[in-house]
Amino acid sequence: MNPVLANALLNFETGIVLWVGITFVLFFVLLKKFAWGPVLQALEQREKSIQESLDSAEKAMSRAEEISKKNDEALRQAEVEAQRLRKEAKEEAEKIRVDIIEKSRSEAEAVRDQTLASIEQEKQKAMLELRSHVAELALEAASKILNAELDEKKNKKLVDDFIDGLSKN
Amino acid sequence: MVKTLRIAFLFCLLLMLGGFNANAEVDTETPIEPAQEVDILSKMGDRYYIEFEGLFKFYLPRIIISDGLHFYSSTKSAMNSGVFQDQFYFENPQAFEAGVSGPVSYTLVHTDDGRPVMLDMSISKHVVWFWLSGLLTLLIFGRLANKYKSGIGRETAPRGAGMNFAEVMIVYLRDEVVKSNIGEEKYLKFAPYLLSCFFIILFMNLFGLMPWGQTPTADISVTAALAITTFFMVNLNGTKDYWKHVFAMPGVPKLMLIIMIPVEILGLFTKPFALAIRLFANMLAGKMLILSMLGMIFIFMGMYGTGVGLGSGIIWVSFTLFIYALKVFAAFLQAFIFTMFSALFIGMALEDHSHDHHHEEEPDGLQPATHL
Repeated sequence: MNPVLANALLNFETGIVLWVGITFVLFFVLLKKFAWGPVLQALEQREKSIQESLDSAEKAMSRAEEISKKNDEALRQAEVEAQRLRKEAKEEAEKIRVDIIEKSRSEAEAVRDQTLASIEQEKQKAMLELRSHVAELALEAASKILNAELDEKKNKKLVDDFIDGLSKN
Repeated sequence: MVKTLRIAFLFCLLLMLGGFNANAEVDTETPIEPAQEVDILSKMGDRYYIEFEGLFKFYLPRIIISDGLHFYSSTKSAMNSGVFQDQFYFENPQAFEAGVSGPVSYTLVHTDDGRPVMLDMSISKHVVWFWLSGLLTLLIFGRLANKYKSGIGRETAPRGAGMNFAEVMIVYLRDEVVKSNIGEEKYLKFAPYLLSCFFIILFMNLFGLMPWGQTPTADISVTAALAITTFFMVNLNGTKDYWKHVFAMPGVPKLMLIIMIPVEILGLFTKPFALAIRLFANMLAGKMLILSMLGMIFIFMGMYGTGVGLGSGIIWVSFTLFIYALKVFAAFLQAFIFTMFSALFIGMALEDHSHDHHHEEEPDGLQPATHL
């Protein structure tokens, strides 16, 4: 057997196990302190901050959505309100128009009535005047015709009765 | 492609047919001229020197605890001290010339009666390469941690290929190995251990692929040490439930416990044992395969002459390249598997079984699927 092979392959060397075991624990402690600790902590922190910013973005998004929804709602309400106002104004204007027309018609009617009444009055007056005038004229004519005998007063009564009889007819 | 492979196969078969005699010749070659034979095994064992072949050979110090603490700068100076002697020279004293003869077996025994030393705490090349791996991990990830500390990657995105690549691996291990096995609450306690395991083992595995490099994980002592740390990690953190499942499996008849308890106790040790053997065997096999493939060139040269040897070299070198690529993959895979199973065992020890008694069977069912 090759003497070199005496220390080969399957030899379980306690000394090496001890060296590797002890130094591995040492490396582990150093790595934990100087490498893995900070790295894992940084990764966790970064992940947390990413998660936080995602969450806050989500929150901002939902808030913006809410606001825009609210705005939409307000806009819609305003539109409805405007429509209502316009409708109301239209109705009022219509009413006013109708009123004005009505009023002017009634006024015009009143004016016409008044005019008609005054015309009637004038006519009445003119009739009266005419009657008296006609009576006088008739009296004059009759006095002219009949002359002296006839009393003016008696004649006038006669003529008046005559004219009354006329107008009644 | 198929035709080429078929021709290559037939060619090999043809060469094999005439090879038995020549093969025997190789076997009978004496160890007196070790330069003549392809000594694969001597390349793979642990040594008390670091050799950069063709450049220099560096002897490592020997530390012996036997009748007190002895420290020597090299094996040769230990031999010359008169207290210890190389086992080979103890058995063949006529070959030893004081001050001239170098060590042969590197196994030291007491000069006076030849009894083996009590504890050989010498630093071997595998220990040195293990330290290099640990220092490399410390260097790479210490620098990475400084980057994170300075704010890059903490508040901003990671910068640079190295940082991104490292982060991909760390985050993958953290999420898929540590968190999925140990759970969200306790992961921070065990992630540093598992990450250390992964990267130190990975670098050790990859060192073997470098020129002059060594794979300490192809040594059972090194993988055993790593598995022992996992063993402590598992059993020091075991919950009440975990120990209850070992010593008093709930829901099992009392008589069955006579069988169950020894099996469960055995199970405590077979888990780290399997970890050690799996890593060691895989790494050693890959190494052996590469050396054997390349060794075929020299065997063929010895059997059929230089021309055939060099000609068939094309086949062996392409096979070697294939195995080499496989080894790169296996380096990552084995480091991952070691970490994965460590995490699994730790997770099992931490698990709260009170709600369900059949959880433990799951990981056991997984084990046979990992022959790699």
